[in-house]
Amino acid sequence: MALLAVNQVSKHFGGLVANHEVSFDLYEGDVLGLIGPNGAGKTTLFNCIAGFYPLTHGSVTFGGKDITNLKDFQIARLGLARTFQIFQASGDLTVAENVMVGSFMRTRSRSLARKSAEGCLDFLGIADTGGAMMTELPVAAQKRVALATALASDPKLMLLDEVGAGLNPSEIEGLIEILKRIHSERSISLLLTEHVLEMVMAMSHRVIVLESGKKIAEGEPAEVVKDPEVVKAYLGDHFVKRREEDGDA
Amino acid sequence: MEAVKNAFDFADMPKSELTIAGLGMAFLLLFPVLPHSSFAMATMIQFLMFSLYGMGWNLIGGYGGQVDLGKAQYVGIGAYTTAVMMIRWDVPFWISTPIGLALAVGWSFIIGYPLFRLKGHYFAIATIATSLVLKDLFEVWDFVGGARGLELPLKGDFPNWLYLQFREDYYYFYILLGLFVLGLLVVNGFRHSRLGYQLRAIKDNEDVAKSLGIDAHWSKIKAYALATAYVAVVGSFHACYNFNIEPEDIMSLDLSVLIAMMAMLGGAGSMWGPIIGASILVPMKSYLGDWLGGQAGLAGLDLLLYGGIIMFIAAAQPRGVYGIVEAVRARRRK
Amino acid sequence: MEDLGIQVLKSVVSGLLMGLVFALVALGLTVIFGVMDIVNFAHGEFLMIGMYTTLLTSPLLGIDPVLTLPLAGLVGAALGVLSYYGLIRFLLRGPMIAQLFGTFGLMLFLRNLALLTMGSEPRILHKGWLVGKSFIVGPGVVLESTKLAAAVLSIVSFALVWWLINRTKVGRALTATSLDAEGARYMGISTQKMNALAWAVGGASVAIAGGLLVNFWPVEPGVGLLFTMIAFATVALGGFGSVRGAFVAGVLIGLIVNIPPIWDAMLRMIDAAGLADLQIHSFKYTMVYAIYFLIMVIKPQGLFGWKQ
Repeated sequence: MALLAVNQVSKHFGGLVANHEVSFDLYEGDVLGLIGPNGAGKTTLFNCIAGFYPLTHGSVTFGGKDITNLKDFQIARLGLARTFQIFQASGDLTVAENVMVGSFMRTRSRSLARKSAEGCLDFLGIADTGGAMMTELPVAAQKRVALATALASDPKLMLLDEVGAGLNPSEIEGLIEILKRIHSERSISLLLTEHVLEMVMAMSHRVIVLESGKKIAEGEPAEVVKDPEVVKAYLGDHFVKRREEDGDA
Repeated sequence: MEAVKNAFDFADMPKSELTIAGLGMAFLLLFPVLPHSSFAMATMIQFLMFSLYGMGWNLIGGYGGQVDLGKAQYVGIGAYTTAVMMIRWDVPFWISTPIGLALAVGWSFIIGYPLFRLKGHYFAIATIATSLVLKDLFEVWDFVGGARGLELPLKGDFPNWLYLQFREDYYYFYILLGLFVLGLLVVNGFRHSRLGYQLRAIKDNEDVAKSLGIDAHWSKIKAYALATAYVAVVGSFHACYNFNIEPEDIMSLDLSVLIAMMAMLGGAGSMWGPIIGASILVPMKSYLGDWLGGQAGLAGLDLLLYGGIIMFIAAAQPRGVYGIVEAVRARRRK
Repeated sequence: MEDLGIQVLKSVVSGLLMGLVFALVALGLTVIFGVMDIVNFAHGEFLMIGMYTTLLTSPLLGIDPVLTLPLAGLVGAALGVLSYYGLIRFLLRGPMIAQLFGTFGLMLFLRNLALLTMGSEPRILHKGWLVGKSFIVGPGVVLESTKLAAAVLSIVSFALVWWLINRTKVGRALTATSLDAEGARYMGISTQKMNALAWAVGGASVAIAGGLLVNFWPVEPGVGLLFTMIAFATVALGGFGSVRGAFVAGVLIGLIVNIPPIWDAMLRMIDAAGLADLQIHSFKYTMVYAIYFLIMVIKPQGLFGWKQ
C-alpha cells in the first residue's frame, strides 16, 4: 500500500489552473523527485498535499487515511513534515528553540523536547549553533535548521521544497549527504522538488515531471531525462529563458 | 510536576538580569518600611497593577505577537463581578474574584474564537470594537450602575481581609506583591511550556508553525484566555482598592492601550518587558499628572507630554527598552 | 403621532445625509490605508482640528464658515504631511505594534494640545449662511441646510479624490505605490512622496469634513474617538483601501444609525431584558462597533476590499 497516494488532484485559483488531475503514489522508503520548470505547479501541489490549500478536485491519502479535508496541522501530526522554500524567522527564537518547537509535536515535556532537539542538531552536524539566532546564521545552516526542525517532529515523510535553492555546489553536496542519511538512518521517505536538476537526479529513485500543472512523465531519473516531451518542456523553457537573458545583456 | 519545575527554572536567564531582578525584588519587599510619601505608595501600587496587566498582555501580545487592544473589557468584567457581588450579596473578594476570573475567561473564549480568525490591524481594531461594545452596554445597564458606575460600601472592621478593605496602603501593596510574584512565576512557566514555545513559533511564522502540527488558532485562544486571567484578577483588586468603578475609567480604550504600552515600551515578548515598561510609564504619568495636571490653565499638558513621549519611543525604539539590552548583547556576542 | 411612513422617510433622509458625512470622514483613512497599510488612530483628531479651524478662523477673518473650508483643508493637509515626515516615516520601519502606538501617541498629543489651548467646553457655530436654515421638502420632512451642504460637499470631495486617483498621473503613481511599492520605486516613483501625498489628501479630506461638521455638531477635544471608530467601521465595511467602498459603507452606516423605527424595536427588546434608562444616543454607536466586529469576522475583505 502506498504511504502517500495523490489521486486526480486539481487546484484552480479563479480561472488559473495550477494543478490538473495529478496522480502519483509514493511508497514507504521512496525518494521521489518532483521536477518541472518554474511555474509548473510544484509548490502548489505541495501545499495541496500538506493541507495548506483546499483541493478543487481529487483526493490525497496518507498512511491509508484520507487526508483530503484535514487541516494543515492535523496532517503534520500524522507524520507528514514539510519545509518551506523561503524560511523566514523574525528572530525571537534561538536555533535550539526552533528545533524544540518541532519536538513539541510529540511531547509536552521541555526536557524531552530539548534532548530530542539536541539529537537532531547533532545529527545534522550543527550542534554548535544551538544558542545562535536564526538570522545570525548563513543560508546553508538555516536550511539545516529547517531540516532539523522537521526531523524533530519525527515524521514518516518529508516534503522538501527547493532545499537546494541558494546554495553553492559544495553546500549542495553536503546537503545530499545529509538527506541520504535522513533517509537511510531515520528511515524517512522523501518527496523533493527542485528546479536545480542535479540534486534530484542524484537522490531520487523515481521522478515525476510536472509541466503547466500537469504530470507529463514518471519513471527512473535516467529514463525520464530521455523522454522527448520532458526535454522539450524542461530544456525548451531553459533555452527560451537563456535567450531572453542574453538578449537583455 | 514539570510545570512547577519550569516556573521556578531561571537557569536560562543571564546572571546580570537575575541580579537586577533580585535587587528589585528586595527593594519591593522593603519599600513599605522605607520612608515614603503616601503619593509614592499609591504610585507603587499602580506600578504593581500595571506590571500585572502588562504581564498578562505580554502573553498574547508579546510572545504571540497578536496586538490586543481590548484588555480593558476584562478589567471591567473582573472589577464589576467583585463589586456587584459584594454590594448585592455581601460576597467576599476571595470568592468573587475566582468567579470574575471565570466569567472573563469564558467571555474571552467566546469572542476569541471569531477574533483570532483576523490578523494584524484587522485583529487589533476588532479587539477595540469588542471592548467598546461591552463598555457601552455597561454604561446603559442599570444592574451595574450604568455610566455612574458603582460605589463599594465600607464594611468596617479594619483590617478587613474578607473584603480587602484596609486603612493603610501597605496591606494592598503586599497583597499585590504576592500576586506579582505569582504572576512572574506563571509567566516563567508559560515561557518554558509547550504552549509558550508554540506561540513564539506562531509569531515567527504562522505557516511554519502549522507545518509543525500547531493548531495556531486554538493556541492563540488559549494564550488569550491566560492573559485575560491576569487582567481580570487585577480588575477585581482594583474595585476593592479604589472603592469606586465606572465604565469610563476601567473599560476605556485608553486603559487598553496603556496596558499594551507597558509591554511595548519595556520590550514585548520578554519576561521583564512589562515590568520595565510599568516602572517607567507609571511614575512618569503619575508625577507628570501631579506636577502639571492640577495647575490651572495647564489641563492636558501632562497627557500632551505623555503622548509626545510615546510617539518618540514608538519611532525611535520600536522594540522597547529591552530591545536595546538585547541589541547590545547580540553585538557583544559577535 | 406621526405616520410611520413619514417617520421612515425622515430617518432615511437624515441617515443619507449623515452617511455622506461619515463617508467623507472615512475617505482619508481609506486613502492612507490603501497606500501604506497603516491605521491612523489620530484620524478623529485631524477631524477635530478641522472643526476648530473653521470655528476659530471664521470670526477671526470675518468670513462665513463655509468659506473657511479650503483653509481647513489646507491645515489638514499640512498636518498630514507633518505627521508623515515627523512620525509615520519612522514608524514604518518598526513592527505593526509600533505603528499602532505611534499614532495613538499622536492622538493623545493632539487631543491634549486641544484641551490645553481650547479648554474642554463643547463649542458649535452659531451663525453663518447655513446655520439655522432648513427646507421643508415634504410633510414633516425637513432638510437642514447644514447637513445638506455637508452631504453635497462630501459628494464633491469624493468626486475630486476619485478624479485624482483615477484620472491624473499623480493618482496613477499613487495606485502603483499601493499595489507594489518596490515596483513603483523602480519606475522612478518616490515612495516617500507618494506616502506624504496620501497623508495630505487624507488629512485635507477629514479636516474639511470637520469644518462641515462643526456647523451642527459641537466640537470638544475628545470628539475624535467616536469618529475614529466610525471611520474604522466604515473602512472595514467598504474594504480597507477602497474609495468606492468608503462611500457606499458610509451611507450604509449613516442609514443604520439613523433609523429610529429599528431603534424603537431594539429599545423594546432590551427593555424586556431588564434594561432601562437607555441613552439611545450613545448606544446607537455601539451598533457601529458591533457592525465592525461582525463584518471583520464574516467578510474580512469588506464589500469592495482588494487588499489583504
